[in-house]
Amino acid sequence: MADRTASAEDDQSEFSRFITGLGRGVAGALFFALPMLMTMEMWYLGFYMARQRLLLLFILNIPLLVVLAHRIGFEKTVSWRDAARDAVVAYGIGILTSAIVLAALGLLRGDMSASELIGKIALQSVPASIGAMLGRSQLGDDEDDDTEEKATPYHSELFLMGTGALFLSLNIAPTDEMMVLSYKMTIWHALVVSLLSIALMHGLVYAVSFVGGHELSPETPWWHAFVRFTLPGYIIALAVSVLTLWIFERLGDSSAIEIMVSVIVLGFPAALGAAGARLIL
Amino acid sequence: MTKQKNRRQSERQDPHWIEWLTGIVSALLVLAMLGWLGWEAVMRPTTPPDLSIHVASTERSSGGYRVAFNISNAGTTTAAAVTVIGRLIQDGRVIEENPVFFDYVAAQSKTEGAIFFRNDPAAGEMSIQPAGYTSP
Repeated sequence: MADRTASAEDDQSEFSRFITGLGRGVAGALFFALPMLMTMEMWYLGFYMARQRLLLLFILNIPLLVVLAHRIGFEKTVSWRDAARDAVVAYGIGILTSAIVLAALGLLRGDMSASELIGKIALQSVPASIGAMLGRSQLGDDEDDDTEEKATPYHSELFLMGTGALFLSLNIAPTDEMMVLSYKMTIWHALVVSLLSIALMHGLVYAVSFVGGHELSPETPWWHAFVRFTLPGYIIALAVSVLTLWIFERLGDSSAIEIMVSVIVLGFPAALGAAGARLIL
Repeated sequence: MTKQKNRRQSERQDPHWIEWLTGIVSALLVLAMLGWLGWEAVMRPTTPPDLSIHVASTERSSGGYRVAFNISNAGTTTAAAVTVIGRLIQDGRVIEENPVFFDYVAAQSKTEGAIFFRNDPAAGEMSIQPAGYTSP
């Protein structure tokens, strides 16, 4: 009898933990995706962007969520199976939240074609699902892991930078301002922006002492971390910028140097996103 | 490899060689990019937008004819609010005139557009020309 009450209580708390997790996921999805849900270019992209590219983005997001869940998943995900389950739940939260908010804002109507409706929701669900994943981990209370020692392998450090870069580029790549900036800038401006991005990336992680910042032991010269982390991070940020610009059909028939300038413009927020991810995740 | 303690992380002293390899390849890529940009910045002259139009195809559409064309900008400056005017001329008289607007034609780039005509462009003379632009 006593056993049965105990296990019922266990089930109860398991269930309420799961509901709390869902709530945090929705909160995270809203926090992180609302700027994109309320961006005009994102609605238009939902119906005009090439379906193959949308599908690619949608599929690329799955391994990204799984690895992210494995690293930061809220229920202290241990196995890859749990990570996959968390990823699916986060994707589901992302899709549902996007659909509800888009519908509430009057952007989904019955007279629209199915392709337009699905396109809009699918596009928004990518940032929303990343937000849901982050919300479940970052908005939750970390009871025990503040004091524990944790090692991040090099490749997952690079992966985290890629995730951060992707997240910020998704915010900015679809806007027209991105392209207008690259049209207004000269190549000298682009050179300054790229140097600034590299300097900020390094400074954010190593120089200013944020919580989660990285320290160098006094005997290590500063350029060790610069070569091993900051420069690869910047290359990742630029690569992610190329990918998002291509997915959002921003490259067109431009000449190589024009493409380079727009990649550097988008690389600026992407680099900050990459550095931010190293601090937060 | 990065170790984390009390949310402060410190880089390891004895990195694996792959970290250095990645770092060096990235450094070379960044240097190549900056070098290329610097070279272009010094060597590329600033020229105003130079717009030219190339008619790609003329097809029948439900309301008449669709003339698709490419507009390319050979200059090193981007043109904004580009107006393109298409005219059909028969016996020295303009019988139809339709404009189309491009938000941007980027420097040294190409973009596509189309103009609709009610009359058959093949019957007379057709001219499609850029009319003007503003700076972005």
